[in-house]
Amino acid sequence: MLRPSLALIVLLAGCDTPVEAEPPFLRGEQPAYSAPAPVLRRLTYSQYTHSIDDLFGAGLVLPNELEPDTRAAGLYAVGASLTSISALGVDRYESAAYAIAEQVLIDPARRAALVQCTPVSAADADCAREVLTAVGQRVWRRPLAASELDTLVSVTTTAGSTLADFDLGLSYGLAALLQSPYFLFRVEIGEADPAGGYRYTSWELASRLSYFLWDGPPDEALFDAAASGVLLTDAGLQAEVDRMLEDERTRRGLRAFFGDMLRLDELDSLTKDPTLFLYMSSDLGPAAREQTLQDLDAIVLEDDVDFRTFLTSTETHIDRTLAALYDVPAPVREGFGLTTLPISGGRRGYLGQASFLALQAHATSTSVTLRGLYLREVLLCQELPSPPAGLNTAIPEANAERPTMRDRVAQHLEDPSCAGCHQLMDPIGLGFEHFDGVGRWRDTENGHPIDPSGSFDGDEFVDAWGLGQVVADHGSFAPCVSDTLLRSAVGRTLADEELALAVWHADGLHQEGYRLRWLFRDIVLGPAFRTVGVVQ
Amino acid sequence: MRGLLQGSAIFVGLPLFQRALNGNGTALACGGVIPKRFGIFFWGNGNRPERWIPSTDGETWELSEELLPLTNVKSKISVVTGLSVKVPNLLPHTSGAGGLLSGMTPLSADGVESFAGPTIDQIIAGEVGGDTLFPSLQTAASDCSGESWNGVNSRNPPETDPYALYERLFGPTFRLPGEEGLVDPTLGLRRSVLDSVMGDISTLQARLGAADKARLDQHLTGVRELEERLARLEEDPPSLESCGRPPTEPEASYPDIDGRPQISARSRIVSDMLAMALACDQTRVFGHYLTDPVASPLFPGATAGHHNLTHDEGGDQPEVHAITVQIVAELAYLLERLDAVPEADGTLLDNCCVLACSEVGLGQTHSIDDVPIVVAGGLCGTLRTGIHHRSYTGDNSGKLMLSILRGMDILAPSFGAEDAYTEDGLSEIEV
Repeated sequence: MLRPSLALIVLLAGCDTPVEAEPPFLRGEQPAYSAPAPVLRRLTYSQYTHSIDDLFGAGLVLPNELEPDTRAAGLYAVGASLTSISALGVDRYESAAYAIAEQVLIDPARRAALVQCTPVSAADADCAREVLTAVGQRVWRRPLAASELDTLVSVTTTAGSTLADFDLGLSYGLAALLQSPYFLFRVEIGEADPAGGYRYTSWELASRLSYFLWDGPPDEALFDAAASGVLLTDAGLQAEVDRMLEDERTRRGLRAFFGDMLRLDELDSLTKDPTLFLYMSSDLGPAAREQTLQDLDAIVLEDDVDFRTFLTSTETHIDRTLAALYDVPAPVREGFGLTTLPISGGRRGYLGQASFLALQAHATSTSVTLRGLYLREVLLCQELPSPPAGLNTAIPEANAERPTMRDRVAQHLEDPSCAGCHQLMDPIGLGFEHFDGVGRWRDTENGHPIDPSGSFDGDEFVDAWGLGQVVADHGSFAPCVSDTLLRSAVGRTLADEELALAVWHADGLHQEGYRLRWLFRDIVLGPAFRTVGVVQ
Repeated sequence: MRGLLQGSAIFVGLPLFQRALNGNGTALACGGVIPKRFGIFFWGNGNRPERWIPSTDGETWELSEELLPLTNVKSKISVVTGLSVKVPNLLPHTSGAGGLLSGMTPLSADGVESFAGPTIDQIIAGEVGGDTLFPSLQTAASDCSGESWNGVNSRNPPETDPYALYERLFGPTFRLPGEEGLVDPTLGLRRSVLDSVMGDISTLQARLGAADKARLDQHLTGVRELEERLARLEEDPPSLESCGRPPTEPEASYPDIDGRPQISARSRIVSDMLAMALACDQTRVFGHYLTDPVASPLFPGATAGHHNLTHDEGGDQPEVHAITVQIVAELAYLLERLDAVPEADGTLLDNCCVLACSEVGLGQTHSIDDVPIVVAGGLCGTLRTGIHHRSYTGDNSGKLMLSILRGMDILAPSFGAEDAYTEDGLSEIEV
């Protein structure tokens, strides 16, 4: 069960009408905070690949899939602290490790970055130790203990000697680093803080920073700040977070967060019947994701403005595939370019994009229920109960008397066994009915006019254009994004005792004009990011 | 590399071999050289019970419309209807899957649903998996998560890529019985790497809380399994007479055709591989997942996704019915492949129990009161075949699981928990 969030929307079991909270007040003092015990996070798929990119240079090819990620509380970032590695996953990480090691050592440039010494024999222990000391610290994100190095050197020299080749031997040492839990999991356990309580160590804090802001491992400068201990000071941490937010890799971190929250990875397996949807192609899902992420990048990082414009802006980044779908001129011949959508098109913001409209729809039709449910669960952090067993869920066929979806779901919305919950979803979803199952505009449905008007928690809307504004202004939207970012940062759900801190961060976001870039910094400097409870 | 992996002759049955050793092959098959195997064939979203349940029960019965594709193996299957999954049906699709396969009520916390205990395939793998390269194999015919669990938040995902599965089973490390193997020094080196990884896991565990320690236990188990497999690869493979490479290699990929996933093609190539993996005794336990619960792929001829149709299609749901028939045809293909492999004086299928099931009966209502079940193969003569057993009292589905465990020679005192708990097997399908 999701905790009752800052949004303070309480959806009782019977799906009563949500009760909205007071609007956020200006933020006061940081509340008292006691951190829960640490959690062990597995690298997500994207964190693994970004780690490999940063450690050995981009462009290496993984031979296989990796352990699949699981969403918990809506995020892979949270599932990563609940799940482990299956037997199949062990196989896959092993294959990946050897494939990476082989590609690194066979490439002169990559090898040179790794191996600075000249081995005097196939089993040169000194050269092996030098290489493994340097790369080991980067792969495990902390200096290696002497005993750990001894084991790795032994693996390497034994292999080098058996195969009569130093580099082949080294590939086994690298494979040992890459299959170790010290690489595959983020070991952040903490230490006693001389000032009282427990805090993350400087090496652990470096990893927390880099995976939160960059979705990848620390760089040299961050390691230096960890090694000197300056990272543990307020000023040192502020200097690092400010430096890191200016780095290109923050784009990657922002993409990882929103890709996770908005479930954009599912666009890779978008299934649509192309005979019904002429604008469906295998390019559509990935293009739609890119549009959404480029828009977010511009709003949050380039322009650093109120992120709620994500739901209302007519400015967007599209390519030719999306231009065709949206029936507007392509802004550029190749790739993505900025365009302004015409007001006459009725489409603006994320809720007018295929990444929402096509994903929250069926293979051959729209889905007013999926679209409404997604808005409540993902954008407002509300939880709706599962449908009870034993209900007849059939929707009547479209016919002359019931030509539109609004007509067809009318019964759902009156039957008391359905209406309790479907009233919370379908009327919102009906607001998007001008957009078909892939997000193409349609004037009519089965030759009949579409009525996209409705109301959302008491706010009337005329159509999807207006609905975007209603959601942007909804008292739960900004706090939901704030809470989700905090969950992503700490990799777990928030305990009841942490709600005051979550409110404090969200209040700060409100106070700072809803600039998300500010919130990333605020969370890093806050106590949930830096302090930890005792291992239990 | 693919050229090097081209298969050679297959299905080299040697009936003389068995006759020389054993009068009727039965003793040999059961617990001797030829082992017992267990597999799950799973599909999501249920059936249309009124077109699935045969009209008569007992030994004299006819295949129903939805079961008709099983004609060629009718004498080797038992259709079991009327069983009820005795857990609270609170999590649509998950309650049924977890209740049926683990006998325990699935959990839902932090927006993630998890089985509460191990599924029957993992219980069996824990007992019989130690002697084979793979304690269990999970495969899929679409992009599935599968329904194999070791416990809370501990899922065994299937290999969804047929080519990757082929590489795992019949790639460079595969040797036919009696085939000369090269002494591969890298196997030992890979094991030394895994030793180092296991050392890291143990050291790290000492610093963790109980929950994280348990998660690393799972990781450690996986590493140990891989290490044991590498050790086994240095030994001679088991000399089973019907062992061979599958007749065809899978394609590099199986892209959707007109938005429709190639479920049938993928299921069949995987079935071919499973038959040979079992014949070669690479594993004795498998789970093959055609589709996941709630998955909504477009099947051939359907006007909407499967899950979508089970809820929205009106009337007696002719499209849902047509999809169910297609699903059963894939089950039939798998069973016929197993039945084509000679073993002892019978076939591989005779020495298997394949539990074919879905997580709900009527998908529209998420009913778990009459879940579709076919038990195929006689498990070396321990399970009755050729019957339709119908429970008119909504018997606990766990009783069937217990019968299967006992058929596998596992001394399980009970199966399941709470209302799903049982100490009794389903005597009607036991021999």
